[in-house]
Amino acid sequence: MFSITVNDKGIIVLTGRFDASQVDAAREVFAKLESSAVVDFKDLDYISSAGLGVLLATQQRLKKGGKAMKLVHMNRMVRDVFKIARFDLIFEIE
Amino acid sequence: MREQFEKDIGSLDAVFGFLRRFADQERLDARASYVLDLAVEEFFTNIVKYGRGTGNDVLLEAVRSGQTVTVRLEERTPEPFDVTRPTQTQFDIPFAERKPGGLGIHIAREMLDGLTYDYVDGTSRITLTKHLET
Repeated sequence: MFSITVNDKGIIVLTGRFDASQVDAAREVFAKLESSAVVDFKDLDYISSAGLGVLLATQQRLKKGGKAMKLVHMNRMVRDVFKIARFDLIFEIE
Repeated sequence: MREQFEKDIGSLDAVFGFLRRFADQERLDARASYVLDLAVEEFFTNIVKYGRGTGNDVLLEAVRSGQTVTVRLEERTPEPFDVTRPTQTQFDIPFAERKPGGLGIHIAREMLDGLTYDYVDGTSRITLTKHLET
């Protein structure tokens, strides 16, 4: 189960498991992002390289316009995946 | 535990279900369970995208022996095709040009304790090993 929503504060909220079968749904939401944004990982239990690929492509597109995503509230395992991928050098993670 | 899965991204839910049943049966901790899910996903999706198998199925087998868990992915292939080979992970190229290719295998390799490929009697076999914390 995976869901991606934008709450009333404009924060993108990821919930559940972001695996390769969820890439299209996530890409649809991130493609609409045109300004800097916060992505809340509090309820995200799992991410694989498929999810990282969507986030990387979005960050690259935003940075061209001087914008960026900030990622918050990651659990330990998800944070470890980001570190191994060296995505902690690409994103501000809080 | 052994089960066959159709070589399709749509099979991922069933693959995770298989791994969840194995984790429950063997009382694996959350970290080991996450690592196995991630590694199996990365190799299963690689087989779906790039595999050269003659059949339409991938066989998964999960076994626990003491404090070691082994998961095998097998598919029939006409010749050896090693999807576990290290690929360029692009850490040294500028951020704007970086692509996710090869990332999944790199992450899986870092999180696992063992990763081997062998080819026997027309079958490509990827073996993932994870030692459990005591």
